Amino acid sequence: MRITRRDLSRATLAGLAAAPLARPALAQTEAVRIGWLAAMTGPSSAPAIGFNRGVLFAANALNADGGVKGRKIEIITRDTQGDPTKAVNATQEMISQAKVHAIWGPTNSGESLAVTAIMARAKMPNIHPCVVDQLIDTRRYPNAFRTAPSNGQWDDAVRAYCLNVLKVRKVAVIGDTTGYGVSAVKASVAAFQKDGAEVVYQANIDATQPDMTPDMLRARNAGTEAIIIWSVSTGMEARLFNTRGNMGWDVPFVGHPSMASGEIGGLLSRPANWEKVFAIGYKSCSYGADGNLPAKSQELVSRLQGKVALDDTLLWWVAAGVDAVNLIAGAVEATGSSSNEAIIRHWNSLTKHAGYFGTYSFTPDEHNGYPTEEVVMSAANTAKHGAFALAPGYG
Amino acid sequence: MLASILASGLAVGAIYALIGITYNTMFATSRVMSFTAGQLGMLGGVFGSLFILQFQLPVLPGLALTLLAAAAIGVVTEFVAVRPVLKSLDQHLYVLSTLALALMIQQVTAIEWSTEPRPFPRLLELTTAHGPWDQKYWLPVVACAVTILGLEYLYKRTLVGRAFVAVAEDNFAARALGLPERNLRVASYALAGAIGALAGFSGGQLLLAFFANGPLLNFYGFIPVALGGLGNNRGAVIGGLALGLFQQAANFTVGGIFSSVAVFTLFIIILLAAPQGLFGAAPQRRV
Amino acid sequence: MDSAKPATVFEPPLTPRAGLLPRAVLPFLGILALALLLPFSGNDYWALIATRAAIYWILIAGLNLVVGFAGQLAIGYVALLTLGAYTASVLASGTVTPEVPAFLALAAAAGIGAVFGLVVGLPALRLRTFYFAMTTLGFATIVTQVALAWQDVTGGGIGITGPAMPPPFDTAWSFFYLCLGLAAVVTWMTGNIARSRFGRGLIALRDAEVAAEASGISKPALLVSTFLFAGACAGFAGGLFAGLQTYITPDAFTFELSLLFFIAVLIGGRGSILGPMLGTILLTLLPEIAAPLAAWSTFLYAFLLLVIVLAMPGGIASLLDFAGRRPLPAHRAILPRAAALEALLPARPEAAPLNLAGIELRFGGVRAIDGVDLEVRPGQVHGLIGPNGSGKTTTLNVICGYYEPQQGRMALGAAPLPAGMPQKRAGLGIARTFQTPRIIGEATVLQNVMVGGSIQGSSSFFATLLALPRPRAEEKTIEAQARLALAAVGLEGLAEARADRLQHSELRFVEIARALMLRPAFLLLDEPAAGLSAEEIRRLGALIQAVARQGTGVLLVEHHADLIFDICDHVTVLNLGRVLASGTPADIRSHKEVVSAYLGA
Repeated sequence: MRITRRDLSRATLAGLAAAPLARPALAQTEAVRIGWLAAMTGPSSAPAIGFNRGVLFAANALNADGGVKGRKIEIITRDTQGDPTKAVNATQEMISQAKVHAIWGPTNSGESLAVTAIMARAKMPNIHPCVVDQLIDTRRYPNAFRTAPSNGQWDDAVRAYCLNVLKVRKVAVIGDTTGYGVSAVKASVAAFQKDGAEVVYQANIDATQPDMTPDMLRARNAGTEAIIIWSVSTGMEARLFNTRGNMGWDVPFVGHPSMASGEIGGLLSRPANWEKVFAIGYKSCSYGADGNLPAKSQELVSRLQGKVALDDTLLWWVAAGVDAVNLIAGAVEATGSSSNEAIIRHWNSLTKHAGYFGTYSFTPDEHNGYPTEEVVMSAANTAKHGAFALAPGYG
Repeated sequence: MLASILASGLAVGAIYALIGITYNTMFATSRVMSFTAGQLGMLGGVFGSLFILQFQLPVLPGLALTLLAAAAIGVVTEFVAVRPVLKSLDQHLYVLSTLALALMIQQVTAIEWSTEPRPFPRLLELTTAHGPWDQKYWLPVVACAVTILGLEYLYKRTLVGRAFVAVAEDNFAARALGLPERNLRVASYALAGAIGALAGFSGGQLLLAFFANGPLLNFYGFIPVALGGLGNNRGAVIGGLALGLFQQAANFTVGGIFSSVAVFTLFIIILLAAPQGLFGAAPQRRV
Repeated sequence: MDSAKPATVFEPPLTPRAGLLPRAVLPFLGILALALLLPFSGNDYWALIATRAAIYWILIAGLNLVVGFAGQLAIGYVALLTLGAYTASVLASGTVTPEVPAFLALAAAAGIGAVFGLVVGLPALRLRTFYFAMTTLGFATIVTQVALAWQDVTGGGIGITGPAMPPPFDTAWSFFYLCLGLAAVVTWMTGNIARSRFGRGLIALRDAEVAAEASGISKPALLVSTFLFAGACAGFAGGLFAGLQTYITPDAFTFELSLLFFIAVLIGGRGSILGPMLGTILLTLLPEIAAPLAAWSTFLYAFLLLVIVLAMPGGIASLLDFAGRRPLPAHRAILPRAAALEALLPARPEAAPLNLAGIELRFGGVRAIDGVDLEVRPGQVHGLIGPNGSGKTTTLNVICGYYEPQQGRMALGAAPLPAGMPQKRAGLGIARTFQTPRIIGEATVLQNVMVGGSIQGSSSFFATLLALPRPRAEEKTIEAQARLALAAVGLEGLAEARADRLQHSELRFVEIARALMLRPAFLLLDEPAAGLSAEEIRRLGALIQAVARQGTGVLLVEHHADLIFDICDHVTVLNLGRVLASGTPADIRSHKEVVSAYLGA
């Protein structure tokens, strides 16, 4: 059940007058309200659009089965456009006005950084898929849980692939000039150096820069054996791939999942430019050597069949959206309560809880719930129904 | 390395210069600096991609349609954002009206087209030239040269062109001579639309069809005008190429973030030192 | 109906006396009262939105002086918000310096804001509108880039925690009260500036820059003070913004936010404070009410801007300006009062004459003035006539410093009068009017005239900001004088009317009143009779003679030969930039060349 903003504001007007009266104990039949902070429009809206399909699918499925303990699931969406200011407003609105029981999102790190403290103040159960490591801190934010890998985990997977599978020692680390790009490059460089690899070149490139030759030339001159990319800008990535093609260089690109984004296909001057590009992927959403998805994922795909389009999005986004709703609903189901404490306590007790996107484990001291071993590299140009083939070397 | 700096510097420089000429063309007949100049460049890329990749048109009809569509946007600019505020030119309301229109164009593109960059077709079936001689580098330079030669021919050799020049030099006198000043202004906005779109089209393989190119081109296209002096097309070409080379050199040597800081700092210093631009005319009387 | 009554002691016209509270304050109190009631909703969401509006207003109140009053198109003010936010956050977090208490960090944010407000603003002294708009835009981009790159201090893309307010300001509602209180203080401050010679000076620079200069208003000094203040407001607001957001990253400072600030001022209406405040509230609330349109918000802002510019240039303020729409009396006459003039211009002792010798001015190859000698004596009316293009107005402009002659000397008595620097002329007692009246249409007649008294104020911008006793006393004096000046030219009945509603002939007298505010030693009038009726010309003549009687030297450029010959003590005839003849009216009338070349008799 998706509540549109208009309904919400109408309810607001009515509710404002009767606010003190309207609270009493309908708790058992009252819907479970899930706030969904989605960057549905604006730049970098693609993930939220994918998540949203999963969210709506899961909510509808639960409600069709009679809800949770007789309570309907209500999704309250607000478009933040990726703007932290709008996200702060929307979060407070969900907490104070819509009085949601838990919040899923936001989906971009910049927004998430701005709203995490606000949710913590209200002890609002929150799960999000944002990668910035600092977002999870069980002491300061005991209410915040991550159901996707952190950037550190991404970093680990990329590094492991470069050092152990590709067996390279000299890498170049390149990001865009956004907040994410700058910090990710810095963290990645430090981690490579700690593991004894040599970072021969590092740069943050303005994503709108028309020509990537300068950086690529410098990287090549420095003796780079693999280029690590931290950016969500598909335009920039495509230019890098094209430049590599034009230079006749066969260095592999390894890094951010957006390198596998479908838009890149159209931006390439030759399809071959997309070879030897390895983007972060997930075991649950990758085709193995036999060309099949893992069984549980296959089950989800068949359930989604005909209801949710997968070709123009990524399977993991949809799966993570489904899992988010199920995690919240599961907590209410298990504890019989939608109170903040009950939901958080339940999540803290999860061990190897099998979702579609991953197997989550939380403890009161560890809210990074996604297992690092499920983060893998995939071949960027192998998209099929929103999933990818594993990169070579996973045999 | 040097070849790359020269190739990409001249290419983006030519694009900036063409946007500068777009500013100048609109300014000449209306005394208005329009924020839509950069958006026209952006639309050149978007329309090009739309017509050639999406509608599968051949390159030449695609180019013609692109220029036509952008010319129409130019005319709309004149009607919506320029004509109504010309009466009170000294209040500089055109800064606001053209800014508003530019933002509207950009936002509609973002929503209706895409917020992600989309591909722009390769225009020529050439496979031999690579590296600095790739078509994406020399196409903007050719477009810029064709435009400047075309404009020189128009202004010097044709009746319409001379009427343009007359209006640009003295609006009132031109009207007194019975020149259709209003129609010439509309025509100049159409022309500016086409020139701006040509910039985006010829540079489409570098800039892609991306809504956020608008503000970028707006700023970097304005610098040649500021350097070369308002209304001075040759100044704009020199300023544009200089800017392109400086920017790409800074890109190659100091890298992304600092190159934009360097460009901005240089821009401010030059503007403060020579507010009329390096080839500009002295200020007009005030009293 | 005759103004030339015998001189009696002039009773100053009554100032409309305000009650306990001036009417203009009531809407502000209403908004404040509503805001104070808000906590009774008990809804933290409204606390957040209202706090946001208050913080935005602190910035916009300052920006309003830059955009709405001074007319400088500063589009990229989000840059200063960013700087303030980072300054406060970095200091309060103690990552770079020892930890600084939150309020001290906010003060530092204001300081940094002021410095960079000046840096961003300074190009406005040299650059024209569009250029200035572009530089502020560019600056906004650079600040974000630096925030990203300077990771050790700003936290780069990961950002940094905002300053946490100490108790008792650490809850949503107490923080709201803090911001509301600060917003009220800033409103009061900008109100003080707006109603002072500084506020009038800014509007004059915006709408009638030449007249502002002639009134002795120094553009650089005024703009520098304004940019400092607006920057401080923005920096301070940035600190509060960071506190409200709890965490800041560069991507919080979007161009859309900058646009909101800028458009709030324009929607509100230029030269108003209430309007932009309502604009701020509207634009902060609008996205909350229209959240389904989130994707279109920039488009809506832009559309709103276009509508405002094309259809409602006066903004909200003009909608609320009920007094300004009240009809003016239909049959009104300009009735100069000699008694008021005598009260305004005490008879001055015999002073030194204004001398021009051998002035030459060329524009390119054209000799606009080709060796003109001229002497204007105190207490005399000196006519300057000649065919169009003979150099009459150009001569005035040379005297007033707008043009610097290539040759020749000017002197006030024994002291040389340096060429150029028009804003220095007012201090030397040289006042003038213009061929096309240079009037601030949106201001009242009284305010227009008060612009002429700008140099009489000596209190500082800062003292005015705080409404200290001295600036208030000065303000009263200037207002009383302006009413006197209006009475002297016969327009005291229109003091409160918007100037753009007056007839052309009335504007000419407003300009004279403004010039008289300087109590000038020399008054330069540029075709004051153009467009006047015969009766009005007669009254103008009497007024000019009365001014001269008080000891002021009048230099009168005019085409109406009758007026010239009726009232002038001395006439100089120019032709092709040279003096063709000079002497008493009688001499000129009989001068053969003049008669044949010009008088056409």
